[in-house]
Amino acid sequence: MSAIVDRLRRGPTLLLDGAFGTMLLSRGLPAGRPPEAWALERPEEVSAVHRAYVGAGSEAIHTSTFGANPIRLALFGLAERCEEIHAAAGRLAQSAQARFVIADVGPTGVYLPPIGDADPEMIHAAFARQGRAIARAGVDAIHIETMTDLREARIALRALSENAPGLPLFASLSFDRKKRGFFTLMGDPLVPALSEMLEMGAAAVGANCALASRDILDLAREARAAIGDPLIIQPNAGQPGVRDGHLVYDQRPEEFAADLAPLAGEGIAALGGCCGTDPRFIEALGRLLGRRESR
Amino acid sequence: MGAMNHPSHAEMSAAVIEGRIERARDIARSVIASGADVVAAIESGFAPGIRRVGELWEEGEYFLPELVQGAEAMKAAMEILRPALKAGSAARAPKGRIVIGTVRGDLHDIGKGLVATLLAASGFEVHDLGNDVAVEEFVARADQLGADIVAASALLTTTMTVQRDLARALAAGRPAKRPRLLIGGAPTTPAWAAEIGAAHAENAHRAVRVAEGLLG
Repeated sequence: MSAIVDRLRRGPTLLLDGAFGTMLLSRGLPAGRPPEAWALERPEEVSAVHRAYVGAGSEAIHTSTFGANPIRLALFGLAERCEEIHAAAGRLAQSAQARFVIADVGPTGVYLPPIGDADPEMIHAAFARQGRAIARAGVDAIHIETMTDLREARIALRALSENAPGLPLFASLSFDRKKRGFFTLMGDPLVPALSEMLEMGAAAVGANCALASRDILDLAREARAAIGDPLIIQPNAGQPGVRDGHLVYDQRPEEFAADLAPLAGEGIAALGGCCGTDPRFIEALGRLLGRRESR
Repeated sequence: MGAMNHPSHAEMSAAVIEGRIERARDIARSVIASGADVVAAIESGFAPGIRRVGELWEEGEYFLPELVQGAEAMKAAMEILRPALKAGSAARAPKGRIVIGTVRGDLHDIGKGLVATLLAASGFEVHDLGNDVAVEEFVARADQLGADIVAASALLTTTMTVQRDLARALAAGRPAKRPRLLIGGAPTTPAWAAEIGAAHAENAHRAVRVAEGLLG
């Protein structure tokens, strides 16, 4: 078993990183420009974000490749540079000296019917190519995140396991809270969706984005009650808003950390942040988990 | 299909609520063939169906696939009924002209597509520019068409700020008629809209009301 999976299974709770795209925005990434491009164009800024998270206590960091699948990169004329972006992003993340580096894989952004007219084969090919690029990027694991359609998550899991054999795969979906429980945008219910990812070979599963820490606490407990395998939880920092003309999320690091910290004692394998979080959130969480002294 | 000669308003609603596209199309054809009142078919038959779909979505009973399927059924019926509507009453002008798209850098199409469908079904003339639309293109098309409203969607926190660029570009332009800006998308909020001087709709269902309000 790989070291990262062993850690997720045995604990203590692994401290992850937080948002990336918004961190680059605050460092001057122009609106509408893909954060992934900066692995090539502004590597020093990407490194600085990784280092800030490691400095804040992140033991595992995600590469800056959330949107680095060929379908999404094609929007910016960068599809040809998919492999180059993954190689550069892998190197930049490794140079930050975190305990583990996880390749980040987000959705393609295209939708299967009836929402869109995307072809499953095309989506599979995109993730397969991404998998081959990741296999050479020197990472410890792959994390499929922010999936809102279980069907796309399945395709990603299959394509990545075929093309990056031997690398542990984690799968996180985004859930909304509805009257009858937690569901993805497409209506996939929490526990069956995560269970299916595990049956398909994911070493850990979880939830990220969409929900803030209060709601995700309930989600984590519901998932934990039904699932014995490692769970990864990465909520947003509250709700988005505007302050001084900038996009901000309304939660403070201390509130975020206080909400999440109890989950470490309840067997959640890994905790981190999604939209609106930054190194201060990870640092606050690490402090409550008693990690700062040991660093 | 004897039963289809005089389809009831309840059948029209049901076809949309159940997302049955072919059925909605068949019913719309039989409305035309039987010489039934087209306006009544829309206003008392199909439109209540799509409103119910929106309610079921807000209640958490329907998810995106059901919402989209319902909107598609509505669209299928409207495509058949709209020409008859125009022929029947030349004076029946659209409620307003809307240019809609997802902002540059954003591939997400679903919310925007739904809004476009519902706006069209509600009597607006809608020009869908697709996704990944540049600010300049929004402005140029709105100017060219004399749009009343520019509707711009963003689904990522990293693309949401493009909505502000669009607001500035619209304010800076000197078109014959300055369109109102309507924004939406997962990360957007009323506060963000207020900040950039736009109207906000939190979902497709609401977008129709907000658009009507802007032109009312």
